[in-house]
Amino acid sequence: MASKETGPSPAQGVGPLYRPDGEKPTATVSKEVSYENVHVLPQTPQLIALLTMIRDKRTSRADFIFYSNRIIRLLVEEGLNHLPVVEQSITTPVGRSYLGVKFEGKICGVSIMRAGEAMEQGLRDCCRSVRIGKILIQRDEETCMPKLFYDKLPTDIADRWVLLLDPMFATGGSATLAVETLIERGVPEHRILFLNLIASPSGVAEFAEKFPKLRVVTSFIDQGLDEKKYIIPGLGDFGDRYYSM
Amino acid sequence: MESVSPLYSLSAEVRYAPPWQDLSIIGIAGSSGSGKSSVAMEIVKSLNLPWVVILVMDSFYKTLTSEQHHKAHANEYDFDCPESIDFDVLVETLRDLKKGKKANIPIYSFTEHQRQPNTTALYSPRVMILEGILALHDPRIVEMLDVKIFVEADMDICLGRRILRDVRERGRDIEGIIKQWFEFVKPSYTRFVEPQRHISDIIIPRGIENTTAIDMVVKHIQRKLQEKSDNHTEALRNLGLIAAEVELPSNVHVLPSTPQFIGMNTILQTPETEQEDYIFYFDRLVSILIEKALDMTSYVSANVETPQGNTYAGLHPKGIVSAVAILRGGSCMETALKRSIPDCITGRVLIQTNESNDEPELHYLKLPSQIEEHATVILMDSQMSSGGAALMAVRVLIDHGVEQGKIVFVTCAAGERGLKRLTAVYPRINVIVGRIEEEGEPRWIEKRYFGC
Repeated sequence: MASKETGPSPAQGVGPLYRPDGEKPTATVSKEVSYENVHVLPQTPQLIALLTMIRDKRTSRADFIFYSNRIIRLLVEEGLNHLPVVEQSITTPVGRSYLGVKFEGKICGVSIMRAGEAMEQGLRDCCRSVRIGKILIQRDEETCMPKLFYDKLPTDIADRWVLLLDPMFATGGSATLAVETLIERGVPEHRILFLNLIASPSGVAEFAEKFPKLRVVTSFIDQGLDEKKYIIPGLGDFGDRYYSM
Repeated sequence: MESVSPLYSLSAEVRYAPPWQDLSIIGIAGSSGSGKSSVAMEIVKSLNLPWVVILVMDSFYKTLTSEQHHKAHANEYDFDCPESIDFDVLVETLRDLKKGKKANIPIYSFTEHQRQPNTTALYSPRVMILEGILALHDPRIVEMLDVKIFVEADMDICLGRRILRDVRERGRDIEGIIKQWFEFVKPSYTRFVEPQRHISDIIIPRGIENTTAIDMVVKHIQRKLQEKSDNHTEALRNLGLIAAEVELPSNVHVLPSTPQFIGMNTILQTPETEQEDYIFYFDRLVSILIEKALDMTSYVSANVETPQGNTYAGLHPKGIVSAVAILRGGSCMETALKRSIPDCITGRVLIQTNESNDEPELHYLKLPSQIEEHATVILMDSQMSSGGAALMAVRVLIDHGVEQGKIVFVTCAAGERGLKRLTAVYPRINVIVGRIEEEGEPRWIEKRYFGC
């Protein structure tokens, strides 16, 4: 695991399919992990360009918000595809029949404060009147372990699919505690979808092993963690850049 | 640049000719004050179609030197001889228009006696009336004319009309006008204008009063237009036949049938869906199409530094991405477009399908300036059935200098035959399609979105 952690990220030509490889500009793409329950968004040139914008320290806060919202919408769209649907046949306005599907099951969002709250707008852009619960997890000064300080969740959360929101996934301490909290409230593990922008390879691997039935949807698995347990190259403190910097 | 891979060898024969490619030009010559422009305007008025235009030869006067300028002010410059007109530029312009290309018409200022720096763009007329005292003078032009008309009037009437016009519209004084008349206009009439009479097809005496003659010309133009329209519809039909035999090519990207996508398409096609929900799901679906289209644009490698001082080797988009909406359907997609590019430069083309013969018709056009320099132009239409409007719109972009490879056509639903036809004619464009619909599906998406 340690060697995987420090290894370089893969670089490859990224570009539209129709373009020959030699004509695609090179960029660093997400590391691959071999867990069935981890889904990394397709590394399209468009996604890489959006990530480049939010990683760049010169990007203004307004642009940071705009570009992260665009990635978050892509994450939500991908995440929603893991929700169940049932077949539904309809007659279209021009009188033709179309075999479609109907969305099944109620959903709710749960954001891990404060950075996760930044993903709520993107979620609402795709699911208009979605309920959103919140969880506050802070590091306990004495034990240095993450501790649950506050939570406010829909009362019927046990009957819902949960989209758990946290943009940065380093060691995964908060996310793990958040999932444990949800499971305690009666949410089955397989009905939790964890939506994330950037993850560390070790963190996401541990998480995927610990909760094999939960699904992770992320846009990028980064190179690794530094000695302070920050994701590298990362993008800095997401909450600061979104809310205040 | 024009290297075409063998894959596309078929496409060499597959051509789409828009109706404006084969422009008919009608020349109207005659003495100053004979009523040429009234006749031209009367013809245009009777036809009442957006693709019949008048080109006035006055726009092609040569810019005067300062010496000539002084002479002009003293009414000593001859504006009535062929040398005063820039026939070379006029011939070039007509040739471009004849080929279906866009032409820039100079604007001539009569007070300054020179061409203005700006020009008027003229594009896609099917019939053009070229009007000027010497419209039938240059053999290079005569060769391009479909009908040659000579308008005749009594010289006294001509002088009278000229005095009225120049005093009222061009701010001249009567003495100057009369001086010019006898020194230049009249001699030039005998030398250059009158001889054109002999090569004309129709001579219209008494100008605008001659309704019989005007009616004849109008009927002739109507016949020409009908012919063009028939040819166009026929050509489109033939393209459909060729296209039926080929596979859907790889530059057509149909969105994968994910559960969410099918689910949204189900909601959108359910007649009971509320208007509010329709708009929400439509915008959401189109946002995905637009993001997909942006994968087709150009990117360059870019190293950026993160706040902690790490370097990331990423990408930056290269150049401007603009959009052109095919009205009305394409304008449904602007909300979603602006979610991804809030300040996207957007042009519009109004193409309507004539219900009587299914022929697409270009009614209006407003494209961003320098569109030919943009890295990618996203062409949007909510729905594409036979592909006639899309074929025409792509052609419009190409005529305005946009390279095929830079065009991404985005549509929510399209028929397979239309897609094949479009890509057979333009093999290097990219197409993003939300859903393949059955053949011959009528346009309904835009009605649903706008609620009317």
